[in-house]
Amino acid sequence: MGEDFNTDSMLDMFLYESEQLLETLDSTVLEKKDEECFDEESINEIFRVMHTIKGSSGIMMYENITKVSHKLEDVFYYLRESHPDNVPHLELVDHVLEVSDFITGELEKIKSGDTPDGDESKLVDEIDKFLTKVKTGISQKGEELPPENTYVEPEQFYIAPTGSESSKYYKVSIYWRSDTQMCNIRAYTAVYALKEVAEDIQYIPDDIISNEASGDVILEDGFHMLVQCQCSRDEVIAAIGETSGMERVEVNDCTKQEFELGFHEPEDHPIIIELDDKEKAQEKKPEKKEPAPGDYVIKNKEAGKSKKLAKNQPKQQPKQTYISVNVDKLDSLMDMIGELVISEATVLQNPDLKVPGLELSNFQKSASQLSKITTELQDVIMSMRMMPLTNTFQKMNRIVFDVSRKLGKDIELEVIGENTEVDKNIIEHISDPLMHLVRNSVDHGIESKEERIAAGKNPKGKITLEAKNEGGKVYIIVRDDGKGLNKEKLYEKARNNGLIGNRAMSEFTEKEIYQFITFAGFSTKEQVTEYSGRGVGMDVVVKNIQAVGGNLEIDSVEGGGSEMTMKIPLTLAIINGIVMQVGNSTFVVETNDIKEFVRVTKDMLVKEPDGEEYIMLREECYPFIRLNRRYHLDDSIAEIEEGIVVVLEHENKNVCVFIDQLIAEQEIVVKPIPSYIKKVQGLSGCTQLGDGSIALILDIAGLIAGEEKK
Amino acid sequence: MSEELDLMDDLDGREDTQKGMFMTFQIADECYGIAITYVQEIVGIQSITAVPETEDYIRGLINIRGKIIPVIDVRVRLKQEPREYTDRTCIIVIGVKSTVVGLIVDEIAGVITVNEKEIILPPSLSQSTAGNSKYVFGLSRVDNEVKLLLDPEKLIRDEDVEAFEDAAPAGEIAEA
Repeated sequence: MGEDFNTDSMLDMFLYESEQLLETLDSTVLEKKDEECFDEESINEIFRVMHTIKGSSGIMMYENITKVSHKLEDVFYYLRESHPDNVPHLELVDHVLEVSDFITGELEKIKSGDTPDGDESKLVDEIDKFLTKVKTGISQKGEELPPENTYVEPEQFYIAPTGSESSKYYKVSIYWRSDTQMCNIRAYTAVYALKEVAEDIQYIPDDIISNEASGDVILEDGFHMLVQCQCSRDEVIAAIGETSGMERVEVNDCTKQEFELGFHEPEDHPIIIELDDKEKAQEKKPEKKEPAPGDYVIKNKEAGKSKKLAKNQPKQQPKQTYISVNVDKLDSLMDMIGELVISEATVLQNPDLKVPGLELSNFQKSASQLSKITTELQDVIMSMRMMPLTNTFQKMNRIVFDVSRKLGKDIELEVIGENTEVDKNIIEHISDPLMHLVRNSVDHGIESKEERIAAGKNPKGKITLEAKNEGGKVYIIVRDDGKGLNKEKLYEKARNNGLIGNRAMSEFTEKEIYQFITFAGFSTKEQVTEYSGRGVGMDVVVKNIQAVGGNLEIDSVEGGGSEMTMKIPLTLAIINGIVMQVGNSTFVVETNDIKEFVRVTKDMLVKEPDGEEYIMLREECYPFIRLNRRYHLDDSIAEIEEGIVVVLEHENKNVCVFIDQLIAEQEIVVKPIPSYIKKVQGLSGCTQLGDGSIALILDIAGLIAGEEKK
Repeated sequence: MSEELDLMDDLDGREDTQKGMFMTFQIADECYGIAITYVQEIVGIQSITAVPETEDYIRGLINIRGKIIPVIDVRVRLKQEPREYTDRTCIIVIGVKSTVVGLIVDEIAGVITVNEKEIILPPSLSQSTAGNSKYVFGLSRVDNEVKLLLDPEKLIRDEDVEAFEDAAPAGEIAEA
């Protein structure tokens, strides 16, 4: 139904807002899940979220979302009004999370351009049953039922005239200031608000939704409605409310005949409320606090205190201090700043300044000021890309809750250091692996209640999720106090699956044995459950972590639990690198990958008959790569004693690379090689050097892999 | 949805003013043209960083205001002898869909306007004789000079597999 709208921005807004609201909802629910019931504040919060989603999805005409959120809103309306004390809390939590999932799923569909066609009826039925259950529980106690939630569903676009005798008729005209945008949407909002109090509404222009141009007409001539309703004029005004840009609202009485006639010339003596006039706006305020007929909550009873809370807060977004910026814009800003730094270098180190005897002290002063600013600018743009892990960890909370409940385990999740900030790109990459690790911990790590009691442990399992910053890397640790890993079993399994050949167990260190679980085709779980045990997983996890330049360490105490540590770089975008030259080409290697530089003499070089070469260094033998041969580079040094050998290390594998000379160590901004150029093994990206030329970044893992293939 | 419409409007607007306009450049003795809507900018030749293990016509990467752009040598792409770059050598930066590529050409000639109806389709006979005709979608005669109009998409896309198949019957297996 959403295709009636030709307003992408409105859809974006709806998606963004709904997602934010659902996030709030999830965190509120999960925060309270371990308590006995929701407190008043969280009930109000959930109610408010559902109310807003119901409203906005109603406007967007996503019927199923509206129905589901309305249903849940009913439940919380009831909870709020009658404070029942027999609510099965966990069941309620489940329902809320189900609704949240359902809506999230539908939003995904909308995002990818599909029609949100999820079937809501089952969910609605379940919640209905739940509500009835709670209600009957109450009525048996002889308490008074609160008034029914009488809300006119928003998908009823036109409400048939009921023609009641007592109906009053008004002619309503709304005028907006000339600089107001999207008047048609604003007008529709007013119609929407009135619909809840009115029995019938007619309006011109009548194509406000489908026709964007109608906004201009409204700006020019105002928006006119004929309203049939039971309420007073003031109530009508209050229902329309005051939105930004509204200049004045006129409400005139009219007769039934006039209503039936439709639109004609306006009346002579309209009551005009000048919204621009400050004094009058002040006067109007108390009126606004009157029960707004647009809000059904207030329609049937006195405004209670809790209601006020909900009513007064609806515009409060939890993340008001943030604005969302397109990542592309950030990237281009970063490009520009990188460019600025380079231009700065070319100016400050300009050869023209190198004339002997030049007096430059003032210039130097300004120059240092300039570099201070650019450095700071660089820091700021970097920090803009950083995001706290809070949201990611929040999701884990949810997973622990879901999986542990389905498996019948009682698990507590402790979160430490969720405010640690990581580059946004990295967060996207680690979310899945982290989810997997947490699931593993819940499913495989923590034992069942009986086993835990038998082992003399606290029957409640505990998973700790910790993030910390250490030495330019972020550590994300998933720790459980479950049964830990069994070395013998791991070894047996790895051998039976033919992953390690016939090597004896004593040949491996503890950590190496734990690493077996990250091998492809390895799963110690005998039975495949819904959550894990398919034997794909840990290897994918490790691959994903490696993709962002991180690694996974596993440690475990049998019977005492295990600990998975993801070490990931703070950012992908800037690395510390050593610039080196081979022939006419420059290469960069990440400083962390370099073990040492050595001058090699001829007798250290071992040559095999097939041409393969090795370097003997301190009684150890290293594979040797001549970059110039590897990449067919001309004009480079061939004589081993004239160049330099760099010893590189990656995941405990070493390789020696022969280059012509070293140039410098510097911070470099990593950029991808344009996708137009096919992937070259051993190269992971490129960067700009201080003089504007481009250097290629060597990927050690790729180099080693390429060497092994030979 | 409205964004798409905007885009359409935008394109329409551009097409009005740029329709039938071609940027022409010289490669060896021939004059080639490329629709001006693809052209983003023209820069002089600058230092190019070679990328190993790529096709011979991909000369490497250049840096234009912080953006790293691959460049291809049109001469080599059209299977002609490469020559030294001079100060007349230019790089035409074109954008085809989301790909941005620099084209190294001998010399920029100018901009011509071609009436769509006057574009002559290349005779099909030349398919097997001239190695470059698969990039040329039409010919145009302006001031008694024939311009070969290039299809930039085919020019930058790597269709060596196809070229290989095309060339095979003629016995022109140039590169494997």
